Amino acid sequence: MKVKVDKTLVASVALHVLVIGWGLVSFSSKAFESMPEESLPVDVISADQLAHVTAGMKTGKKENPKPLAEKVAEARPVDDAVGKISEKPPVVTDASPPPTPKVEEKPVEKKPDPPKPVAEAKPKEEPKPIEKKPDPPKVDPIAEALKKEEKKPPPKPVAQAAPPQPPKPKTERSFDQTKIAALLDKRDPTRQAIAGDTLNSNAALGLSHGKAADNSATWGTMFQSQVERCWKKPFGGIESQNPEIVFDIRLKRDGTLEGAPIPEGTPATPYLRVYQESALRAIIECQPYNLPAAYFDEWKYFAPVFTDHKT
Amino acid sequence: MTQKDGLREIPFRPSRRQIVSGIASLGVLTGGGVRHAFGQAPKRVPIPEGDFVALPIAIPNFVAGTPADAEVGAGVTQVITNNLKRSGLFNPIDPAAYIEHITNIDTAPQFANWKTINAQALVTGRMTRQPDGRLKAEFRLWDVATGQQLTGQQYFTSPEYWRRIAHIISDQIYERLTGEKGYFDSRVVFVDESGPALRRVKRLALMDQDGANVRYLTKGSDLVLTPRFSPSTQEITYMEFGQGDPRVYLLNIETGQREIVGNFPGMSFSPRFSPDGQRIVMSLQQGGNSNLFVMDLRSKSTTRLTDTPAIDTSPSYAPDGSRLCFESDRGGKPQIYVMPAAGGPAQRISFGDGSYSTPVWSPRGDYIAFTKQGGGQFSIGIIKPDGSGERILTSSFHNEGPTFAPNGRVLMFFRDPGGNDGASLFTVDISGRFEQRVPTPGFASDPAWSPLLS
Repeated sequence: MKVKVDKTLVASVALHVLVIGWGLVSFSSKAFESMPEESLPVDVISADQLAHVTAGMKTGKKENPKPLAEKVAEARPVDDAVGKISEKPPVVTDASPPPTPKVEEKPVEKKPDPPKPVAEAKPKEEPKPIEKKPDPPKVDPIAEALKKEEKKPPPKPVAQAAPPQPPKPKTERSFDQTKIAALLDKRDPTRQAIAGDTLNSNAALGLSHGKAADNSATWGTMFQSQVERCWKKPFGGIESQNPEIVFDIRLKRDGTLEGAPIPEGTPATPYLRVYQESALRAIIECQPYNLPAAYFDEWKYFAPVFTDHKT
Repeated sequence: MTQKDGLREIPFRPSRRQIVSGIASLGVLTGGGVRHAFGQAPKRVPIPEGDFVALPIAIPNFVAGTPADAEVGAGVTQVITNNLKRSGLFNPIDPAAYIEHITNIDTAPQFANWKTINAQALVTGRMTRQPDGRLKAEFRLWDVATGQQLTGQQYFTSPEYWRRIAHIISDQIYERLTGEKGYFDSRVVFVDESGPALRRVKRLALMDQDGANVRYLTKGSDLVLTPRFSPSTQEITYMEFGQGDPRVYLLNIETGQREIVGNFPGMSFSPRFSPDGQRIVMSLQQGGNSNLFVMDLRSKSTTRLTDTPAIDTSPSYAPDGSRLCFESDRGGKPQIYVMPAAGGPAQRISFGDGSYSTPVWSPRGDYIAFTKQGGGQFSIGIIKPDGSGERILTSSFHNEGPTFAPNGRVLMFFRDPGGNDGASLFTVDISGRFEQRVPTPGFASDPAWSPLLS
């Protein structure tokens, strides 16, 4: 008996087998390996806490021993380092009697903002000659103007008095909200250049990054993840024994130990002794440590605290 | 100038990285780890502990003092390796990885060779047959990282006790590296079971804790149950079904001498020694109930401890002898109670679902182990004497009869898979992590761990 074979069917079956077979082989290979990323501890903190971290510290290390100086000249202290530098103090004095007192004059009397903490650290050996100069003229023109205004009305009561005088007191008494803008000082804030014998562009005396200088979270985590590879923590039973073992360690730039880690204190129990020894083994065994060179000053001498307190 | 311009920006605009690291470091600051960020004291960086990791240890074969000692040297090494590995706390490194071949234990090893294979501890030793026939065993335990010798000892013994020496050395290593007392130099008495399921022959047997040196103490003509070691003498007490009622017996394992404890009407069962070995506490049957009695082994005087219309059984002393824990169904279901050793009001400590039985007080005093039945399973667990901290260590079809190792860190119990297969012995540590089967010649049940021999 002859069986008729449909060629297209054969071709279809063969193709299907081929494709499915290829799929079986090619798709059954191992899954792609994904490199585990190192994790960093992240804490959610409030703005207040952030301010605390970034706040400066008066007791901190002095990074810049010299005060800020923008111009070589006789040393001159500065109260406020904010604002444009102007060569001359803009003192607006108008001795001539104005017909109406200008509102813009008043802001001149305003003292600049209270001195900021930045300025506190600066030497204040010299008096402030520039600041005081504007004071006498400021008081005088107004006083004079007032005097003149007072004097003026009596001689010219008939000619000019009637129309201008009634509105004057009105403008002083009525408060027009829409004209507040007119009261504002529209000039850019200006100040004197801070002079010193040498130029120094650093404004602060302390560290440039406040308490954020504590980068231990960054390199500490790196150190932790590296030392953990070697740390075979002894089994302390199922009850926490609250171990806290501290070493003082000094590292060289290449991440190796400068000397043997110095344990702080003597362990009180056999378990704590074993715990201390295991941590010591780990510190020695895992060197050299790969820590960011930028923070070498911070990690060249520090104290790892081996503990089971979760922080 | 451009550099200076760049610097000028720093004080007023902390970079994003600085802000992020500042935020992150706050965790450190608020964690209390940093008490003084600057000043004389170095910066404290907390290293919170990770999970426990078994300590990698290298134990090369003990050096043979004379060519004839090579075999015993290898044997001692094997026993030590096996002990440490079975504890779950050590990870002995495969000898095939060793780079250095120790030939002389009197000089310090080349630690770099052992660092390379990630060993943190190294044991070297030597076995030497002395001219007088005794065996001299020496060992040193080294800290590979620091190159310090942590401990070192030498022992003399009869050649046939080489296993015991290996156990003693194991205990030394264990104690030095964990801070806990060891438990390897100890024995276990258990009920050896052989024959078909319906006609099991049960014999009392004694072995080292690692399953070696099995010795049979009874012939198997009578049914024996619940053997218990004396804490101070080479005696065990157990229950035997003789011709009549089951009775509590006392057996000297050195001499083989056997005697009935007391002469009571009805059955007496579940005996256990007091910590000083001078008294035996047990249950006596009275009608449908049973109560606890204690008998002084010297004066043979008996004191009643409980008097309830319930079944009080399985008493076990606290290691200081001040209190007793026992099982009672006075509340309906069997539960664990604690009471003063001289009798008095009992306080129930187990309140979980199911029923609790076979309580046994740890030699450390910190825990009471029990068998818990519930949910179609038998579990071995531990609970603190005040009833807190209950912890189930292992569960299966049938687990029963926990007994503590001398250091209170490991429990042995028996597990019956059901069906025709008999029970076998297992150890589990009190964290429940490391469970191990204990090799026995046949089926085995009712283990009881001895105190340390030395």
